[in-house]
Amino acid sequence: MHWLRTRGRATAPYGLGLIAVLLIPALLNVIPGIAPGYVLYLVSLALIYAIVAIGLGILIGHTGQISLGHAGFFAIGAYASALLTLRLGLPFVVAVLVAGSVSAAIGFLLGLPALRLSGPYLAVATLGFGLAIPQLVVWQSSWTGGSSGLHGLPLASLPLGAFTIVFRTDQDYYYLAAAVLIVLTIFARNVVTSHTGRAFVAIRDSEIAARAMGVDLVRYKTTAFALSALYAGIAGALYAHLLHGISPEDFTVLLSVDFLTMIVLGGLGSIGGALSGALLLTFLQNALTRLPVVHDFKNLYIVVLGVILILTIVFFPQGLAGIARSWRLRRATRTLDRPAGAGQIVELGERSGVR
Amino acid sequence: MLSVTPDILTDLPWGQLLVNGLALGSLYALTAFGIVLIFKTTRVITFAQGETAMFSTFVAFTLLTAFQLPFAVAFVLTMLFAGVFGALIERVVIRRISTTTVLNPVIVTVGLSLILLGAAGWIWGYEIRTFPDPVVGPPFHLGTVVVSQLNALIFLVTLVLMTVLFAFFRFSPTGIAMRAVAENRMAAQLMGVSIGRMNALGWGMGTAMGAVTGMLIAPINYLDPSMMGDVALKAFAAAVVGGLTSLPGAVVGGLLLGIVDSVVGFEVPELRNTIAFALIVLVLVVRPGGLLGRHETKKV
Amino acid sequence: MTGPVLEITDLTIRFGGLVAVDGLDLRVNAGEIVGLIGPNGAGKTTVFNCISRFYQPDRGTVHFKGRDITRSGSHEIIRFGIARTFQNVELCRSMTALGNLLVGQHVAMRSGVIRDGLRLPGVGADEARATQRADEMLELLGLTGDRDHVVSTLPFGLQKLVELGRALVSDPALLLLDEPTAGADKQEIQGLADLIRRMRDRFDLSVLVVEHDMSFVMGLCDRLYVLDFGRRIAEGAPADVRNDSAVIEAYLGEPELEVTEV
Repeated sequence: MHWLRTRGRATAPYGLGLIAVLLIPALLNVIPGIAPGYVLYLVSLALIYAIVAIGLGILIGHTGQISLGHAGFFAIGAYASALLTLRLGLPFVVAVLVAGSVSAAIGFLLGLPALRLSGPYLAVATLGFGLAIPQLVVWQSSWTGGSSGLHGLPLASLPLGAFTIVFRTDQDYYYLAAAVLIVLTIFARNVVTSHTGRAFVAIRDSEIAARAMGVDLVRYKTTAFALSALYAGIAGALYAHLLHGISPEDFTVLLSVDFLTMIVLGGLGSIGGALSGALLLTFLQNALTRLPVVHDFKNLYIVVLGVILILTIVFFPQGLAGIARSWRLRRATRTLDRPAGAGQIVELGERSGVR
Repeated sequence: MLSVTPDILTDLPWGQLLVNGLALGSLYALTAFGIVLIFKTTRVITFAQGETAMFSTFVAFTLLTAFQLPFAVAFVLTMLFAGVFGALIERVVIRRISTTTVLNPVIVTVGLSLILLGAAGWIWGYEIRTFPDPVVGPPFHLGTVVVSQLNALIFLVTLVLMTVLFAFFRFSPTGIAMRAVAENRMAAQLMGVSIGRMNALGWGMGTAMGAVTGMLIAPINYLDPSMMGDVALKAFAAAVVGGLTSLPGAVVGGLLLGIVDSVVGFEVPELRNTIAFALIVLVLVVRPGGLLGRHETKKV
Repeated sequence: MTGPVLEITDLTIRFGGLVAVDGLDLRVNAGEIVGLIGPNGAGKTTVFNCISRFYQPDRGTVHFKGRDITRSGSHEIIRFGIARTFQNVELCRSMTALGNLLVGQHVAMRSGVIRDGLRLPGVGADEARATQRADEMLELLGLTGDRDHVVSTLPFGLQKLVELGRALVSDPALLLLDEPTAGADKQEIQGLADLIRRMRDRFDLSVLVVEHDMSFVMGLCDRLYVLDFGRRIAEGAPADVRNDSAVIEAYLGEPELEVTEV
């Protein structure tokens, strides 16, 4: 079980998270006055977004390559799995894996021109990519269903030897989404704490230093793009089967901005941050739709998104992860009963290293 | 589909598409010019250009309908508003962020555009409105090609604005100071140029350029909070294709994008944005600095 | 090993109309410490950037251990055995000193995103070996106390030391040092010369050093090349170069010529 072995600090939050994952459905059944099915659907959605956020975090937070078009990869994954299950009758598991691979391959291809683009140029190019994908879907309406989309996707199922698990209820699907998220979180954590992850951060910090140390920019930048596209693609496939149907309108630029906000709010360069940002934002969006005071929710949500983006960058550039770190530091120094040296503060504060 | 046969090529009304494309391209050029101006002075590529323009266009709409002002007056007042608005954004937000990473300005201007989008919907609602026509009258005919009064106005305004701006940057002390800041901030500062004022001025002028586009495109399309989404993408493409560091490049890129857009829009309207995106990638891969821009490499 | 480790022939590079380096011939023999000096803007760093493949020369060749590297990629040459430092320090700022020394071993480690992500057998052992090697290097340079400090928080002098360690840990045959004394005081400069010599002996290095500080190179180097306006104006032992009339003329007005014995 090598792949389960994670390294590094702060594994405790992950253990607590795992327990919470298992307990949430039971808890929801006990709390009166809520619809557990709907909440579980919502949590599943948040977990699926978290998968995208983790992948995007590796690209933006660790490698320093911006993308404003990840809804495009999400859409590619969703459409690929929807088409494979609906049109070709492929099993769900195969469809998800192929969807992820297709998205990763396109991510790799997008990474190639990205090699020559820096900062703002890359932002514009990826923005265009995100806009182009739904347009291509509408254009190729004969097999994509055009603007009315694809509906009636089969239930997700997982063959295990002689048995086949079918994910019928919201609770079933919730466990599926959680399991995929956990596996992909561990994978991401392993990558960023390893050789490959260091090469990513080296590129972000100084491309010149990275090259001089033998980091092949072509290889690692395209790897980062493909990896984050793989995450978005798998998440897109899960999304399609969660909703049992998709349409191009699900994959707007606003969704790309949602993903960006999740990782900025959570803290760039932190996997835990990406997770918490995704959960928080999904619930926030939902809460804002349900507020009785606010009738035109779309307005309020995007204004809130904008405010979050600006306030985070201006006041907490390291996001929630940074706040958590400094809070832990303050607690640690209090228990040590002596003030921390200045170097120590800086060190702990900058550990994630994203400015 | 894109299978272009000679038959279809000769069937296209090329002259008309060219004129329409140049009119559209002029509008892209104006917005792109604003983006490049802001980028050159402050090193920030703004993703809020479309939304500041949209917001300003709503202001113009209010001046025209609620206050019944003549178009020319509303036009000038809106440009002034946009100028102040842009400068204010620079003072209040942009100045506070660290631009050591390119990520921060991108994120903050995306945030700004969301706030403006939401605010405009809040204030003016989401229903699609028609923007009053600035000019009415029979179109001009050049052979078989029809030039509407509005298109003629667009050409005129673009020409006048471009002439004024190029003269401004060529001859006026302020324009020269702005160019100096764009070339070398440190040296400009040593020469006594106030960087802060030039940054605010760059944002103000750039935002005003976007507002002009908004006011001239609203009568063609429609008026609603999302009116500038596609236009801003095309303007971005224009700015990048022309070269983010080159003001003439923005104009060339804008006109080019307008013509491409007009032809593609005639043939496969679904793919207008896709083609714009493909064009960006194509140009950047062949010439990373854009057609007229400089490719900036970090000194080793 | 005998013969040249590095051999540069007729190296020429132009930027626009300016000829930055003009027909330079230069060689570094095994175990030698060679200095490349000259007034500001003489093209010294440009030569470095040609060797480490950041710039493409317009003419001429660079051979390393007999291999023509004139067309190699900038990320390939460390694999051949050439490591470098930078004039203004190019570290991975957000990483710790240890992290930087692990990046320094990039080419020595097997990699693969799937292998790393799944933590296939061997990943942990590779990491442990690299960490141990990094720790040894940190100790050698007296940086053990700064191991877990983020390098951007370290003083400039220590950053330069970390950068040196990062280059050394890649186990190079040739070390390119770009202005190692920049930002150091007199006492540190003396220590630096000793350190470079020690490292040369310990790791079997050849060293090519670009320097401004004349007294430093005079004391450190076995041989010197003097560049002026991209041309080689003198070559030889420090004592000969110092008395060369062309060199004295090139340096006229340059305060660095206050040559003192080290």
